[in-house]
Amino acid sequence: MLRAQLRRQSHTGMKGAAEARMQNMVVFSVGGQRLAARTDEIGGVMPWPGSTAVPSDTPFVTALVRQEKGCLPVFDLAAKFNRPMQDDEPLCLVVKHVEGPLAICIDSQVPSLHMVSRSAVQYRAGNDPDIAGTCIAGEEELPIINLTTLGVSSNRPA
Amino acid sequence: MGLRGHKTAVVSSGLAVRFLVALMGSTHVAFPSRWVRGIVIPAEGGQDGHATCANASYERTDLARRLTIQAKGVTSETRIVLYANEQRSRSFVVDKVVGLIDVERALIQPLPAQFRGGERERLLGLFVESSYIALIANPFWVLELPSQNNVLDVFALQVSERRPGEFDSRLRLPSSVLEATPVMSAGATK
Repeated sequence: MLRAQLRRQSHTGMKGAAEARMQNMVVFSVGGQRLAARTDEIGGVMPWPGSTAVPSDTPFVTALVRQEKGCLPVFDLAAKFNRPMQDDEPLCLVVKHVEGPLAICIDSQVPSLHMVSRSAVQYRAGNDPDIAGTCIAGEEELPIINLTTLGVSSNRPA
Repeated sequence: MGLRGHKTAVVSSGLAVRFLVALMGSTHVAFPSRWVRGIVIPAEGGQDGHATCANASYERTDLARRLTIQAKGVTSETRIVLYANEQRSRSFVVDKVVGLIDVERALIQPLPAQFRGGERERLLGLFVESSYIALIANPFWVLELPSQNNVLDVFALQVSERRPGEFDSRLRLPSSVLEATPVMSAGATK
């Protein structure tokens, strides 16, 4: 019994170590620009409900969308990357932003979940604080976007 | 459904604010209605940048430009809102008057924190209606007066103490245009 318990613990430990070497990333696209983000920064995905424009001076934060009884501010990621949104049925990515939930209009292609080896993730500070680095997901090298702090420290176009 | 004599919307309890909701471009903008002195058609708006009504003069302000909203241009639905308090008066063009609506204070949401620019001075918050989201214009900013803290509390009325018709007696709106302005309610009555 003790041997079985030890074996179980050893198996769990190996699994934990393997998981520690992996990172869950979500890959999505905005105006055709493919991006990766950490899974724990995403609150959900829903059909794009349509937005209400807000006359705003804040770069890329110029609209609201309804969510249940309230509404969420919209960060225009397509405008940040200077990509026109051409999708007829876009999706709404709900982000766990440090200042409260935030909506992003993304392409209709459903975001995909990837287990990425930590060695395939490179964090590096660049000119754009909204970009954390790059990762290789499914043979693609993709920029990792900092969704939780989007727009907080950078208001510049990418 | 005229404004006067119309059944006052019933809201469950607590505080409520009555707004005049108007379309500016495609944006629904809500103005606390206590400072609405009238709504006139463009032909009654005066040619010299001033609208005159009941011996009071209202200097014109291009509110759409100040809000950075692209207005639609003059149509049959264009109206001029006369807006004033004891200190100052202004008139401004809206593309359409949607109506009056009572909103429970608790249902008025602040502008999300992600909005960090000058819009925080111009807009007090928002409320969500069944068919639109209305942005609440800061009435002090509209009148080009220094803003105050807790602005909406200045306009809130204790609903439980309000009697039917109370709002109607406060709003002495001069134009016959207003007779067709419907009164709606948001929140508890939905």
